[in-house]
Order: sequence, then C-alpha cells, then structure tokens
Amino acid sequence: MSATKPAPELSLLREPLREIGGEQVLAGLTAALSWLEANQQEINDLNVFPVPDGDTGSNMYLTLRSAVEEARHAPTLSAADSVLAAAAHGSLMGARGNSGVILSQILRGFAQGAAQRTHLDASGVALAITEASAVAYRAVMKPTEGTILTVVRDAASAAAATAATTDDIRVVLDRVVTEAHAAVERTTDQLQVLRDANVVDAGGFGLAVILEGFARAVGDTQPAAPTPAVLRRSGEPALRLPPKPGDMEAAGSQVARRGAAAVAAREQGWGYCTEFLINGPGLDVDAIRAELSALGESALVVGDPDLVRVHIHTGDPAGLIAAASSRGRMSKLKVEDMSAQHHDVLARAEASEAEAEAMGTATRERAQAPPKPIGVASVAPGEGFREIMGSLGADIVVSGGQTMNPSIEDLLNAVRAVNAENVILLPNNGNVILTAEQVDPLAEGCEVRVVPTRNLPQGISALLAFDPAASLDENATRMLAAIATVRAVEVTHAVRDTSVNGHDIKLGDVIAVVDDAITEVGSDYLEVIEAVLKSQAIKPELVTVYRGDEVGAKDADALVSSLRATHPETEFELQAGGQEHYPYVLSLE
Amino acid sequence: MIHLVTDSTSDISPSDAQALGVHIVPLIVRFGEEQYRDGVDIDADQFYAKLARTEVHPTTSQPPPDVFSTLYRTLLANPDDQVVGLHISAKLSGTLQSATLAAQAFDPGRIHLVDTESVSGGLQLLVRAALDDIRAGDSAATVAENAMRRRSKVTILVLLDTLTYLHRGGRIGRAQAFVGSLLNVKPLIAVRDGEVVPMARPRSRSKGIELIVEQVRGCTPLRSLAEFHAAASESMVDLEQRLSTAVSNVTAILGRIGPVVGAYSGPGGLGVACLGAD
Repeated sequence: MSATKPAPELSLLREPLREIGGEQVLAGLTAALSWLEANQQEINDLNVFPVPDGDTGSNMYLTLRSAVEEARHAPTLSAADSVLAAAAHGSLMGARGNSGVILSQILRGFAQGAAQRTHLDASGVALAITEASAVAYRAVMKPTEGTILTVVRDAASAAAATAATTDDIRVVLDRVVTEAHAAVERTTDQLQVLRDANVVDAGGFGLAVILEGFARAVGDTQPAAPTPAVLRRSGEPALRLPPKPGDMEAAGSQVARRGAAAVAAREQGWGYCTEFLINGPGLDVDAIRAELSALGESALVVGDPDLVRVHIHTGDPAGLIAAASSRGRMSKLKVEDMSAQHHDVLARAEASEAEAEAMGTATRERAQAPPKPIGVASVAPGEGFREIMGSLGADIVVSGGQTMNPSIEDLLNAVRAVNAENVILLPNNGNVILTAEQVDPLAEGCEVRVVPTRNLPQGISALLAFDPAASLDENATRMLAAIATVRAVEVTHAVRDTSVNGHDIKLGDVIAVVDDAITEVGSDYLEVIEAVLKSQAIKPELVTVYRGDEVGAKDADALVSSLRATHPETEFELQAGGQEHYPYVLSLE
Repeated sequence: MIHLVTDSTSDISPSDAQALGVHIVPLIVRFGEEQYRDGVDIDADQFYAKLARTEVHPTTSQPPPDVFSTLYRTLLANPDDQVVGLHISAKLSGTLQSATLAAQAFDPGRIHLVDTESVSGGLQLLVRAALDDIRAGDSAATVAENAMRRRSKVTILVLLDTLTYLHRGGRIGRAQAFVGSLLNVKPLIAVRDGEVVPMARPRSRSKGIELIVEQVRGCTPLRSLAEFHAAASESMVDLEQRLSTAVSNVTAILGRIGPVVGAYSGPGGLGVACLGAD
C-alpha cells in the first residue's frame, strides 16, 4: 500500500505550508464539496441494506453545500475562524440524515477548535480536527465503531501525531487523508452489517472524500499567490473544480477507483449550473436578481453596484448569458452540466427548500395569530401519507423520508409554521430521528419534543393518539404507548445481491422489512406479505395496507382481496400512501 | 310529594319510567316534514330502521314550553307537591330552557331544575340516584343539590362508528379535532362539563371497547353503571362481558340509545355511563 502513503518528496519540492487563512479554508471546503459531489452516487450505493435507503452521499453533499454557501458569506473571508463558524452554522441548518447531522457536528467541532484564530498553523489544524472528533462523539448517544466517528477519530490522531513532528500543513493533511481512507477500509471488519454486505461505511467514506478534497485544495494553494483583483473585490475565492480522476489515480488515492463511476455518470445532461460575475459600476443588484432568477432555479445573485455574482441552475444557459451581458461586462463564466442523478437530488432539495420558503411565508402570516398550546409537525413521503397525516391532525407534513431526508432547517421551518407553544415532531423514519432531535435548541419560543417514530405506521399511530387538549408530556406518553402497539412491514425490491440475516438476496427480489429487519424474501408481493402474516405470533386484528406510487389501485385491490380470503378474522384496510420505492407499507395492529 | 321529571334523552324506556315513577318529557325528532315525539310516536327500533332507509338526515328539537307547563300543572295539583327536573346538558339542547320558561308561571320554590351537564345513560344514572334520595326522604331542594354535586362524578363514553351524525347535528364540540380522518377510525368521545370532547381514535371496535373498560376501571368505586347501544347489540354483548369482569360490584343497567340521542350518535354507537360513589 505504498502508493497510499503521502509523497514526502513532493512536499520537499515545495515551500512548507505553515499557515492557512480564511481564503484557503474556503477554497478547501469548496473543493471538498466538488469532490463529494463527484462521489455522491458512489457513497449512496454503499447501502448496507439492499433496500432503497437514506442516501448518505446526497445527505452529506446537501449538508456540506449548505455549509459552503454560508461560508462564502462569512463576515471576514480572510479569517479562518470566521469562515469556519459560518460553515458550521450553514451545515447545521442544512443537515440531513444521520450522516449529515454528524458531519455538521464535525464542522462545528472544527470551528470550535479554530475559534479566535484568523490563521491556522499545523498544530492548529490538528487541534481543530481533534475537537471535531470530540464534538462528533458527544453528539451521538451510543457511538458505534466502524462508522464516520471512527474515521474522524483516526484522522484526528493522525493529525495530532504528524503535527508534533512537522509544521507543514500539507504533510499533516496528507497524513490525515491517508489515515482516513485506511480507517474507512477497516470499517468493513468493525461492523457485522458491513462485513455481511462487504462494503465500507458510507458516512466514513464520505468524510474521507471531504478531507481529501479539502487537503488537495489547501495543499495546492499558495497563500502568498495574488488573487485576481476582481475576485478580491467580490470577496469570493476562486472556485475549484473537482480533482480529475486521473490526478487522483496518480496520487494513489483509493477514491479514484471508487469515484470513477460517479464521475462518468455526470456526462448525462439535465441542466446547467451556470456561474459568472457581472462587472459594474452602477449595477442594480435587485433588478438583476429579479430578472435572472426568473430564468432558472436555485438562483444566487449577490453583490454590490460594482460586482454581482450569479449562480443559477438553468436549462437555457445561452439565454441567461444573453440577459446578463446586457447588464454589464461578464467574467468568470462557468457553465457546468449536471448529471441526471444530481438533478434529481437538487430538484428534490430545491423543492423542499421552496416548501420551506413557503412555510416561512406561512409562518409570517400565521405569526399574527396567537400560538396555540400544542401542535404536530410530521414527515412523510408521498401525497397519500401526507394527506392522511393532515387528516389526523398534523399541522404540517414535511415531504421527505427514506430517500429524501429533510434538513434540520426544513424541520425547523415546519416547527415554526405550526405556530404553537409546544410542538411534537414525528420523524417517521430511522434516518430522520437524529436530525429531528437537533431542532429543539434552535426553535426559539417553543418547546419541541421528538417522538421517535421509526416508520410511517408508527407515525400514523402516534397521530391517532394525539389529543390537542392534553399537555406535551401527556401527548408524548400517549404517543409512545401507541407506537408500541403497531408493527410496520415495508415491502420493497432488493437493489443488489447480498446476504442479510441468513437470507440470500438477489437483485430485484421482493423483500419485507419488519420493524427495521429484513425478515422475508420472495418473488412476489403477496407471497412475501403472506409469509410475514404467518410469522406473527399474535394474529393482527387490523392490517392497513398503504400502496406506493408504483402500484395501481387494481393491483392493490387484488392483493388485499387475496389477503382477506386467507385471513377472514383480520380486518384489512387499503389506503393510497403514494410513497416511493416501497410498493407496499403495512401496519399491523 | 316530590315528582321527578326528566326528558327523553335520559333513554329511560317507557316501562322503566312507569316502574320508577318518573315523568318523561319527549323531545322531538324530525325526518324532513315528518315529526315524532321521542319514545312516544317512535321507538328505537322504528327509528334505526327508518334511519337505514332514508336519505334525509334526522333533526331534533327541544320540547315546547307548554308541554312542560301542562305537566307541571298536573303534578303541582296539591299545595305540597314539588317538582325536581333533571335535564340534558344545556350545552347540547334547549330542553332546560323550555322547562325554565314553563316554570316561571309557578311559585319559585316549587320547581327545582338542574342542568345535569349529562345525557343518555349519564342522565339516567343521575335520575335514578335522585329517586333514591326521594325515597330516602330528602327535600326537593336537597335532591336537586345532590344531583348538582353528582354531576362531576358522571363519566360518559361513547364509541362511534362515525362522527358524521354528531358533526351534521352540530354537537361535535371539541371532537371536531377528530373530523376528517382519511383512515377508518372508531372515534371514542366523552361528555365532559356538558360538552362532547374527543377521547381516542382506536382503529377497531375491539380496541375501543378495551379503552372504555380501562376508563371505567379508572372511575371505581362506582355507585352505578349503564351500558347503551344504538343498533349495535353484538358489540354490547362484548362490552357487557368485558365490563362485568372488570367491574364486578355493580350491576349494569342495560339499555338502548333512543331516537333523539341516536340522531347524533348514529347507528353503531356504543356507550357507557358510570356514576362514582357519593
């Protein structure tokens, strides 16, 4: 594995990098984001369960994207502490999924370790990573080895050990990256589930990718190198493209091997991420924003009369450029094709951002009404589930769930939109619980209680137990009791071959996940559902069948009719859940 | 002599009323243009059969004051006659209003009216307890005071098949929160402080009965217990079996939810009322 070791001869050829400031940190974070984006799909594919799972790569990407966006607007871009504090705040608001929440804690720790330092030296970098590890461990109630936590801890040890022997930040970061990847490789042996599935931990791998992107950009930066005048004025750092796969191969990284597929996949086109600067003087920022925002999505138009920076996703970059060029001289034009996968993730993220924005409006409108004593915010994928939850008294149902985890900010906005003194938050997915738990300290003026519903049937049961006249404590108690009486069965198709719980699973097999564990495997829905029902020690009195968006009403009717015929003593109710990826979700009571 | 008057929402059957010596003023139930006096022109069987056949939603109204006037005149024939009137919650019906209007024509001390804040089995249990007081020799004023005191000891729970009837009838109260469920639920409601309040949303009747039994057990020790149903005799058997195991020291009064109350519970309603010991 000599290829994975740092290349000392390379660093010897350069001046040691003894100090980094805000610009380098931002350049590092930006490059980390690009590199994470390039590897996003591959991280997503490292699912332990062969089910369409919470997308770790997308969650980490969206979390880091939020961090970088905030960091770009840090009060003092030249100061490392200022940039990192902004990044930490951004990542917290944007955190999605468990891996995203832990990543936000890593960034928070990193920022804490760098507090009061405008520039970091090698030992400062080591201290920040060490603090990042400590904060991340504290954020998780039962830290598990073989996860992102192990990777950040091993990276921190490597940083501390290396910083004791050299003052060259490049050497420290090289060592950190190497150790992070080595730690990722070890995760397979640290966790049984990873060993069974023969994969490395997705979150840990994601962190190694981030560290690698960061290290490359920081290592390449010459702190004394002059920045173009125009960029200095705008306060924006040069945007770094992701390192090329070939470069990484040369550097001997394991990421190159893993990342290749994802990078290749980005060739497919959807829209264009278009960025440029418009040079003044006399620019009307608001007018430019109004005009250009209409030509695309996710528009970011910022600046002053002398310089405006534009970042827009559009299907028609030529039209956008034409419109912009009439406003002033353009520079730093960058048009990037976005892959279909990328589009999907972004579009969904933007949809939820738009939703959050809409909720923000709702909050402002409702804010005039006095808050009610208690309300409920819930999370669900699929229009059907959202309608059902609304009909049962949820004030707000955030869209999201298994494959599109809402961010802390999405949940925070939802909680605010409820406009109540006490809000019960129902995550309805195991991968959303940790995110939900971050909301209470952020929600000013209201108490937020998470009832840790792990799936949609539990969420429905909790809502059924809701009593608007009862206190927060009473409701939480009622809901916890209610979710204990329901069993969730989630039926889906295996997304790859694997072996889990002694079941040999082939790609496309129908699998039933009962309360988070794969219990039945078969070739069709009815067979698998029948097997689950037979295995129940106590016959359920009522089974509610929620059909997913891919199942037609007729097929679902036929399935439920068959079930009624074989289980005359059980009542069956069919509902349109509209959930993605899971043709059927059943609730057994 | 003290005469006890109540209204037909107490769901006391005519034969029981006669045996107990209580006077029942009927409320009115209407199907469109057709009008019936509750328990006089229409009984529970006829009502639910009609409800199943017709598209018209039944409505109800309080007895006109002159019905009370006529009754009071008859009952107060002798100088020592007094009336104690226990009626349905004033938040659910204007019956007490009619009675109060009628009573104004008589000496203030002769008619004692009580808003029981109750209905159906709950009202019936208060009436029966008042009859016990009369038999024990209490004055009319004491009988009325006792009834007022016992109001807070009454628990009424009703398991419904649907909230439609309660909702359309405008008596939904805070159970409004339960309206609109896209899932099939069996709403469990209670009457508290004279109003309908939501209790729970069990997904099945059996689970709902379990909740009722749990609640009743929480009210012990009991003075009395009543079980009522609206065309749901099978569920009533189930309820009776489970309750008799849970609460063995009182004998339940079994009955039917009559036409006026049935117009709000809808068919399938299953209710329990209990009165805590004094």
